[in-house]
Amino acid sequence: MPSVILAVDDSASMRQMVRFTLESAGYEVVQAADGVEALDYAKAGNADLVLTDVNMPRMDGITLVRELRNLNNYKGVPILVLTTEAGQDTKMQGKQAGATGWIVKPFNPEQLLATIQRVL
Amino acid sequence: MLPNSSSDNATVAGNQTPSNWSPQQQTARMLALCEAQMEAATQDSDVAVDTLINSFSDLMNLVRELNAESNQNHSDTQTIKFASEEEMKQRYQTLMRQVNNAIMAFQFYDKLSQRLGHVRYSLSTLALFVCDRLNSQKPEHWDKLVTTLGRLYRTAEERAIFDSIAGTLAITPENEKPKPISQTAAPEGSIELF
Repeated sequence: MPSVILAVDDSASMRQMVRFTLESAGYEVVQAADGVEALDYAKAGNADLVLTDVNMPRMDGITLVRELRNLNNYKGVPILVLTTEAGQDTKMQGKQAGATGWIVKPFNPEQLLATIQRVL
Repeated sequence: MLPNSSSDNATVAGNQTPSNWSPQQQTARMLALCEAQMEAATQDSDVAVDTLINSFSDLMNLVRELNAESNQNHSDTQTIKFASEEEMKQRYQTLMRQVNNAIMAFQFYDKLSQRLGHVRYSLSTLALFVCDRLNSQKPEHWDKLVTTLGRLYRTAEERAIFDSIAGTLAITPENEKPKPISQTAAPEGSIELF
């Protein structure tokens, strides 16, 4: 069975690029447009990895990481942050919230896949 | 819009307002910041669109070549088979390289939308601010405005633009200003595992 990746981004074009890249490599992709939608999915189903943006309406990516780490079934799931945020402060917030890694957009498809393989 | 507390004044307490300071000059500089943002966004988008055009041109050429070859009559099928295996690998690699370039270039739209959103917010905030005749005459309130809008500029590129222009906007002493984020920001595409 293919690993399920929950891709969270408020930009539809970014979600498409992520979905295209991941599905081409054989992963199953579930999409969410913000933290609230992602958390709803996470509570109902299991993802093997979460890939989330930071700046989103309703619930941002850092809060999502924190909320996911509070769920028993997501304590050990890799959570990668994929964002335009490049500042050390925000990155540290993500690390403290429980993120596994930080990727600055735009992503390189090969490098993204290599990183996912490494943390899965 | 901007907070109007007594602590605002404390930020610049004891500072001398530069003799060349005026609300009109500050407004012009804020507009220059928006203009610089839009110019950078347009340049980035042009580069991305060029990459997309090149990727699709190369992909189309590859498709045409494959189509032309499939229509040829080959007499020595064994030789063709070996040549094809090697060529197929090379063509696959070329194809994937172009697809990857296109995926990276397509992400310009997300960045463009974000930047234009920041410009839009900056302009509307500035419009409201300059209409507030009392506060827009006070340098310390301009400082507050610059700090507030500065939070929008989060990427390394945006911060570089902001830092270069905002340095001429605020009257806060140099040693009290936060360290420019652009100097410590991670480059685009970088990956860090914690």
